[in-house]
Amino acid sequence: MSKPTFVYVTYIRSTADKVWAALTEPEFTAKTWFGARHETEWKPGAAWRLILQDGRVADAGEIVEIDKPRRLVLKWRNEKPELKEEGWSRCTIEIESAADNAVKLTVTHEANGPKLIEAVSGSWPRILSNIKSLLETGELVLENKIQ
Amino acid sequence: MSKPKFVYVTYIAAAPEKVWQALTKPDMTEQYWFGYRVAADGKAGDRMTAFSPAGKQAHDDPILESDPPRKLVYAWQPLHKDMAGERPSRVTFELEPFKDQTRLTVVHDEFDEGSKIFGMISKGWPAVLSSLKSFLETGRGLQPSWDEDAAKRAAAEA
Repeated sequence: MSKPTFVYVTYIRSTADKVWAALTEPEFTAKTWFGARHETEWKPGAAWRLILQDGRVADAGEIVEIDKPRRLVLKWRNEKPELKEEGWSRCTIEIESAADNAVKLTVTHEANGPKLIEAVSGSWPRILSNIKSLLETGELVLENKIQ
Repeated sequence: MSKPKFVYVTYIAAAPEKVWQALTKPDMTEQYWFGYRVAADGKAGDRMTAFSPAGKQAHDDPILESDPPRKLVYAWQPLHKDMAGERPSRVTFELEPFKDQTRLTVVHDEFDEGSKIFGMISKGWPAVLSSLKSFLETGRGLQPSWDEDAAKRAAAEA
């Protein structure tokens, strides 16, 4: 039986470098990721944490693979008590070239239980819609806060 | 074993009325939907039709529910010979207003296990809906050439 998995593909008229920056750099994630920022050294084996605006740790884990600006694999645990008990998930982010000056961005999140999948099924479309709008138009599609 | 079900949510900086028009009017769809002209602006019981850029008919399916600009449901049974032999599946669009914007949810379900069409639509919808979002937010859809499968399919139908 395969693990519960969330997959989201979006095509963005931008470059792999810009999409990578939008996913990882704090000046972008502050806008696109509802104010959150990554805390990590961005190398294999490095600890990774996603810190909310108020300083709480939303998610924690480790960089499993990193090949900037093409592929990032994170060992990922949501730190909310009811989600933490589901244990570790694995998030793979892939950025591929596409024609028409676009890139194909694929986020695959494999979890051990349904609660994390439900949570990320709500949040990834918001984050990725924001990144696409910001890179294509300079404007966000959603407000800069957790809905 | 659960039956195949495709779900996709995207947020678009356009009012639901605009998103509705873009989903149902052929003059709009041809600008972002691989050049296909899709007409789905009828009532329940009317037809949803789609024509390829080469003018070949790709769909002639019943509209099952139409509540503009909130909810649209139609059956989905491609006419292409490579996709014949499966029962009709079902596409549901839900448009929820969020300030002046739209949360669009597309659910494509009622497939049989092992459906070949399910594999194709799972690749196709993210491409179409990404292009739709670009079209409504920037005035320009993404070109069909960036989806190889779509390009091959369009070529096969030409």
